[in-house]
Amino acid sequence: MVIGVALDETADDVRPLVEGISFPVLLDRDHLLAELYAVSNVPTVVWIDENGSIARPNSAEVGTDMFFDYTGVRPDEHLNQVRAWVQSGTLPADAATEIADLNDDEIDARLAFRIAVHLRRIGEASAADWFASAVELAPMDFTVRRAAMPLQGMDPFGDQFFEFWDEWKRAGHPYHGIPRS
Amino acid sequence: MSTVTVLMPHESIEIEGQCVDDLVLVDRSVLPQVLDWELKPQGLCRDDECVPVRDRELLLHGDSVDLCAAAAAVGVDSMLAEDTDLVALSVPSETRIGALKGRRAPDFVLPDLNGQDHSLEQFAGRKRLLVAFASW
Repeated sequence: MVIGVALDETADDVRPLVEGISFPVLLDRDHLLAELYAVSNVPTVVWIDENGSIARPNSAEVGTDMFFDYTGVRPDEHLNQVRAWVQSGTLPADAATEIADLNDDEIDARLAFRIAVHLRRIGEASAADWFASAVELAPMDFTVRRAAMPLQGMDPFGDQFFEFWDEWKRAGHPYHGIPRS
Repeated sequence: MSTVTVLMPHESIEIEGQCVDDLVLVDRSVLPQVLDWELKPQGLCRDDECVPVRDRELLLHGDSVDLCAAAAAVGVDSMLAEDTDLVALSVPSETRIGALKGRRAPDFVLPDLNGQDHSLEQFAGRKRLLVAFASW
């Protein structure tokens, strides 16, 4: 089964993305998954077996061809691997990959982000400073930098995002997980 | 006494206490609720497990305990927003390392879009694809 977890601020942000979907979709306003599973970008998929063990850790997988021009990632190979796992328990070789832990700055960035979203919700102007601190601590982390964009009135598909995208590519596209590209 | 807002990974709560000079001074009785650990003569304890506190001076300030020092002793990072009497506490490092190195999927409880809570554990016994996504 699929469990979707949206790292978004409101249910209304998520509803248009999940129309007609029958699996559970949960709302993670405080980015708990970014801490518990070291998620640093979306989409990130984790395979969890019947006993609660992680069969294949964080990986950058897509469900459609929508962003193929940007990511170069197609859904087919992952979907075939999922089918093989569900039907016969077969795991791809990369399932054994160990994901690097968050460093101290990445942990602090998540705490600063949580402070920022809390302050924003209660209408405190200092939220902006905390978003800035979070981004400074983890400038290559999408769950921090890109997620903060719409919360500060920026377009997450606008110029600031493409500036970030270029920086991130130049930095060797860091990601806490198995890349597929 | 004034109040401090504690942003825990799963929820935020208000407790009695005050933020002074990078310290979050609280009554020791709140530690089990906030950190899952309580202060005993032998150290910070949870069930049968205790971690010794190397420097009690750093932890204890008169009748109060520094929540950030207590958190650090049990692998929880903290960040203080002193102006707004807020402190954020991280997930215990052992939980995250248990996922990354030990391959144990940490349980969590989150609401669905109608506000009803669900946990990862409630779907145990099935193969699960946890898919983190976002509108941004």
